Amino acid sequence: MAMKRSILGSGYLSPGSAIVMLIAAVSTVVVLVWPIEKRQGLEFWTFSKTHSQMYAEQLKTWNAQADAEGAHPRVNLFVIDMTALVRRTLSSFWADTPVADMIEVEGNTIGRYVAGPLEDVGFVDLTDLLQEEGIYDLVNPPSFSLWTSRGRVFGLPHDVHPVMLCYRADIVEEAGIDVSEIETWDDFARVLAPLIKDLDGDGRPDRYLLNTWYTNTEWIEPLMLQAGGGTFDESGELIVASKANALVISTIIHWCFGEGRIAIDAPEFSPAANHLKIEGRVVASLMPDWLASTWKNDMPQLSGKLKLMPLPAWEPGGRRTSVYGGTMIAIPKSTKNFDEAWAFVKHLYLSEELAEELYRTTNIITPVRRYWDSDYFNEPDPYFQGQAPGAMYIALAPDVPPRTSSPFRPLAMTRIGEAINDLRKYAQANDIYEVDGLMPEALRLLEEAERRVRAEMSRNVFLTEVTP
Amino acid sequence: MFRKLAVYTPLTLFAAITLVPFLYLACSSLKTNDVFFSSPFLPIDSAWWDINWSGLTLDNFKRLFQEAGIGRAIVNSFFFASTMAVLGTLGSAMGGYALAKFNFLGRGMFTNIVLTALIIPGALLLAPGYKVLYTLGLLDSYAGLILPGVAPAFGVFLFRQAFVSGLPTEMMEAGRIDGCGEVRMFFQLALPMVRPMVGAFLLITYLGTWNNFIGPQIVLQTPEKYPLAVAVAQLRGPYGSEYGMIMAGTIVAILPVLILFLMLQKDFIAGLTAGSVKG
Repeated sequence: MAMKRSILGSGYLSPGSAIVMLIAAVSTVVVLVWPIEKRQGLEFWTFSKTHSQMYAEQLKTWNAQADAEGAHPRVNLFVIDMTALVRRTLSSFWADTPVADMIEVEGNTIGRYVAGPLEDVGFVDLTDLLQEEGIYDLVNPPSFSLWTSRGRVFGLPHDVHPVMLCYRADIVEEAGIDVSEIETWDDFARVLAPLIKDLDGDGRPDRYLLNTWYTNTEWIEPLMLQAGGGTFDESGELIVASKANALVISTIIHWCFGEGRIAIDAPEFSPAANHLKIEGRVVASLMPDWLASTWKNDMPQLSGKLKLMPLPAWEPGGRRTSVYGGTMIAIPKSTKNFDEAWAFVKHLYLSEELAEELYRTTNIITPVRRYWDSDYFNEPDPYFQGQAPGAMYIALAPDVPPRTSSPFRPLAMTRIGEAINDLRKYAQANDIYEVDGLMPEALRLLEEAERRVRAEMSRNVFLTEVTP
Repeated sequence: MFRKLAVYTPLTLFAAITLVPFLYLACSSLKTNDVFFSSPFLPIDSAWWDINWSGLTLDNFKRLFQEAGIGRAIVNSFFFASTMAVLGTLGSAMGGYALAKFNFLGRGMFTNIVLTALIIPGALLLAPGYKVLYTLGLLDSYAGLILPGVAPAFGVFLFRQAFVSGLPTEMMEAGRIDGCGEVRMFFQLALPMVRPMVGAFLLITYLGTWNNFIGPQIVLQTPEKYPLAVAVAQLRGPYGSEYGMIMAGTIVAILPVLILFLMLQKDFIAGLTAGSVKG
């Protein structure tokens, strides 16, 4: 037997295997000699690079003070992709292991953290502290709703996120239309109807009035909340089968199909949909404050062509705004430095520097009401034809509807989505597209959806008694 | 001639269609933010042939290295992928060799455990795996990512089958008679007999680790330790994404592994087809 050959010699390894082994050897050496900065102090996780950039200046000051005076520990900020952040945090809660000292939580994920008995929620219950320190009075009250479960608050809100209507002022004004005539969604459809146009001469309209679609439940939820519906009310009761929801889903079908169609499917964060918006095929879109900065970044071509206005109401005198998105900062129970973490959380989230930076960088208005009179909110924005979006959003902030943190919210929205789809089938099968004609069936479908959600909720032995 | 044309024309067409997303990727990585949504491929002004050259830039690549620290992520990816490929292949081969060629108490039970491990969904192991890594002090360490992949159940079973069919027991007995030790027998007699499997498994593990996203996301917390898949994902954000940089990052992420695959595809095919013509 030829025992004298080495393992790396010819015959034992293919060239490919030898290359992989060589890469392993070289990269191991490089990784071992490349130093990694050692970080001392508290750990703070955020899911947003934009947030980290906004916090940079204040972190620098905080850490400089920590180095010079030693009054508090340093804070190290880590940007972690949202999926990773949720996975790590939940893994840590379930495995009962330490995690960061402060964590920013995105609104759509809150249900996952509070799904279980209150005492098992991995974040510190801040309710009493917020009351004792008077923070409740500083912050816009609806901003707490998303971070509240069974009456207990688990974080300090980062934002308000009121929703306005953004419209193509160039198109609307060229047609001589005055949007001040619009108070309700019916007014919206009637007043702007002349703008629905066939732009390419193929006999079919290409431009529609409103960016929404019956399949896009994520953007239908703000409309339901605006109408007084949604998934759960403030006391935690299921309200899927409410008349408000029935009105919204019937109207959505009316907007998407039949002769009264005014809707176009141009979802956010989609290159193809952005193209439709740039081409002027979409007249108006729902716009939470944060989305304004996204549009500025992704569609600079629209600068000077847009304007904002309050959402049309569902009935005369009704609510002219809604809410979409949200972030909070929470402190995990596993932290050994609660006092220091809480001090930093307040320093960061309640500071005027952050309020200004938040608005200037992302168009987000702060939930801290004492800063709402600041000059920067009144500065004209050329992207919106010189309007002052800050002041406009702030005027609507107190009317933002409350939201639920229930872990069953996604399930309820899925069932509502199915009800909308069934309503679409019903409308097409019976050639009924008017809202009044669709309402009875919409209510029936929503009742069925609510029954199914209730049945699925009742199977959860941990939550039946106590949630939401 | 006609027959060749009839075969190669549709094949070329389908091959070209599969390249369209890559073309989109390449064009998008070179576009400025202003013109990113103006057209699917190269930025244009009035017609498809009127290319807006000022809308093309290498800035996305520059920023990727200067701002996003992608250079370090590339090294990390090479390190994780190659180290896990080498150690994973070695561990799997050793495990498979033992189960295939040694009679010991509990061999059947161990084989069944390996088979059972194959059917456990990865998601179920997240929390317990996290706990184990925490207990061992391996969170946020290179070892925490590498050690759990040193002897994957799939690899152990694959090599067990390879040794059962590819390594005659008589050859091992001949080696022992000639005075060959067990370690030497494994490296110099057994492994060469399953060489195609070694090459294929090495490459499979390499590609799998290079593309692995969930594991590093959970285990690693220090940004300097992130591999490419995680570093590129960091470019997404809730208020929008750096589309140009993401596209540039994707190109940087797929290029090294694409080159490696093209170099090693013979090994890969040889491993996959090993034994397929056995009578």
